[in-house]
Amino acid sequence: MFADLLQHIVNGLVMGAVVALPALGLTLIFSVLGFINFSIAAQMTVGAYAGWLVNSQLHWPLVPVLVVGFAAAGLAGVIGDRLALVPMRRTVSAHTPLMVAIVSIALNLALENAIRFGFGSDLNSFEMPIARDVQFAGVRIGPQQMHNLGIALTVAIVLAVFFTVTKVGKAMRAVADNPDLARLKGIDPAKLSNLATFIGMGLAGIGGALLAIDTSVDPSTGSRLLLIIFSASVLGGLTSLTGAVLGALLIGVVSEVALLAISPVYQSATAFVAILLVLLVKPSGLFAGSSGVRK
Amino acid sequence: MTNRRNFLCAGAAVTLGTAHPLLWAQAGGPIRIGILIPLTGSTSQFGATMSKAAQIAAEEINAAGGINGRKLEVIIEDDQSNPEAAVRAARKLIDVDRVVAIGGSYASSVTSAIAPLCWESKTVLATSSGADSITKLPHLGYIFRTSPTVTLQGTRVGELGVELGAKKMFFMGPQTPFAQSYIDIISGIFSKAGGSGGGLIYEDKKSGYRSEVDQALKSKPDLIVLGGYVPDTSVVLKDLYRAGFEGKRIGFSFGINQKLIEAVPAEVGEGAYSLVPSAAVGATAYKRLLTKMKVEALDSYSCQVYDHVNMVALALASTAKAPMTGTTVHDNLRNVTQQAQSQLVDSAADGLKLLAKGTPINFDGASGSLEFADNGDVKGVFFRYEQIQKGKLVVTKVA
Repeated sequence: MFADLLQHIVNGLVMGAVVALPALGLTLIFSVLGFINFSIAAQMTVGAYAGWLVNSQLHWPLVPVLVVGFAAAGLAGVIGDRLALVPMRRTVSAHTPLMVAIVSIALNLALENAIRFGFGSDLNSFEMPIARDVQFAGVRIGPQQMHNLGIALTVAIVLAVFFTVTKVGKAMRAVADNPDLARLKGIDPAKLSNLATFIGMGLAGIGGALLAIDTSVDPSTGSRLLLIIFSASVLGGLTSLTGAVLGALLIGVVSEVALLAISPVYQSATAFVAILLVLLVKPSGLFAGSSGVRK
Repeated sequence: MTNRRNFLCAGAAVTLGTAHPLLWAQAGGPIRIGILIPLTGSTSQFGATMSKAAQIAAEEINAAGGINGRKLEVIIEDDQSNPEAAVRAARKLIDVDRVVAIGGSYASSVTSAIAPLCWESKTVLATSSGADSITKLPHLGYIFRTSPTVTLQGTRVGELGVELGAKKMFFMGPQTPFAQSYIDIISGIFSKAGGSGGGLIYEDKKSGYRSEVDQALKSKPDLIVLGGYVPDTSVVLKDLYRAGFEGKRIGFSFGINQKLIEAVPAEVGEGAYSLVPSAAVGATAYKRLLTKMKVEALDSYSCQVYDHVNMVALALASTAKAPMTGTTVHDNLRNVTQQAQSQLVDSAADGLKLLAKGTPINFDGASGSLEFADNGDVKGVFFRYEQIQKGKLVVTKVA
């Protein structure tokens, strides 16, 4: 029983790691720009396709593939933001964040279908060897998945350092905290919003590429996980970067451990019931106020 | 005031002008058949060829002079592999395009969702779905199914498993209208043969199935039956490989096919079996369709869509006096596909000529001989048993 529990926890961490990076991106964009950019799912797919192209055509290995996934999704994210979302954000009203979020859903659909138009609906596989799992203290561990978990956590740590140490990182936090005050101090929120979108979407791109290496790439690669990414971000308090990562891992673990008692068909339901319970007790999210963009 | 009156007049004119062709479209203009198929989404692997097959059927019929002198138009709609989108598309086909029949209709969840719209509006539904529940609906004879049922497919998979020497079967598949039926049917066959069976139903939009695979392997099965579509089956196969599963794997044509082979590393799919409803590979209609589509082989589902258009057109053409409606198709379809004493034809063009002369016909299509039981299920279906060998699907037997 204990071995089973441990196995499900490990599986949950692996599941959560896939969601962690896009959740981190969503949280970052929300913190700095103040709205939920749902087109993050399509940017995951963009990152996955970009990585797949350089891997299958040019035979690039893992790390360059992830860099390409980051850059492609980041760039596509900024372009999408400038074309579709910036004009919406200019009209300032109480409903602006909601309107921009809805336009971002439209942008997400448009991007997904553009990818489908270009590449078709087929599944595509990366040219990466598939490894058998290894047994460790009675628990089955996938080397690739552990690798993914490692990469996700490393990126999260690098990001945390970026926000605490660098000038730009601190400026972003200033904008997140109080845009007007930041402007008075000579920080240009427009420039920073581009950077936040680039990094946020880039993170989603890495997440998409990692997910696709593990499974396969198709136009719905990202959108299948959109709801769970959003939930991870909400669970983490929407403004806390640590919260986003922990929220993702928690959702993964809860939904996998629930399998011990409940049929797999109801798996997402168990995760969402858990979120509901958490938000009833702590409406601001589990980790709001802990270290993050908005301290 | 003048403006308001002008507006009212213009409005009335527009309403009349547009209402007229809509209401009477099927009286003098082209006869329309809707083709509702998955061009996108998880079940879309045959969508493109299904669409082409339907268009070829319409071209052939129009080249032969159409139906009682009227042009046939196929209107293709994407169901997005999604019942909710399918209902919207079916509503458009029935209410706006006023089709006499809807063909294609592939995923069982899609067919189950649109079926009530069809029989309530007296529109014939020709479907290529497998769930047994579909023809058990109170469809008043408006559903014709050209695909083998789940019970039949499950039975064949179970028998193949037993034949391969497996003793412990475990089924893994997503939530579909037929998942539980598969578990029950295949387990039943294994119990009878002295083995045992079990199964689990999973959620189909997951990024991994490690825990599900752990649960499946707990009972130490020597055969895993995969009941999913390509996106989830590819991930389950990968996770089975990672977990070191060495037993046999059997899937269905909608899960294990050429698209899956392209989606997984070679070692992951190697050796897996697939049960494929076979087109009538010896039939002239099948060979003609291959030539027109410029392919060497074609899946059964695309052939079924080709047959859907043909049989509906012939049913309408068999009666010159009746109105061109779904009810006419409903009343006459069996008259043109399964009257043993009538003249056998394998192309709609020949069929139309004979019908024009008043000669009764028996149409055999590219997917089979199209004989329907009273409940609408097709009779006499063949399967191809295929195995992935060195990255290619190889036919091991046809039965």
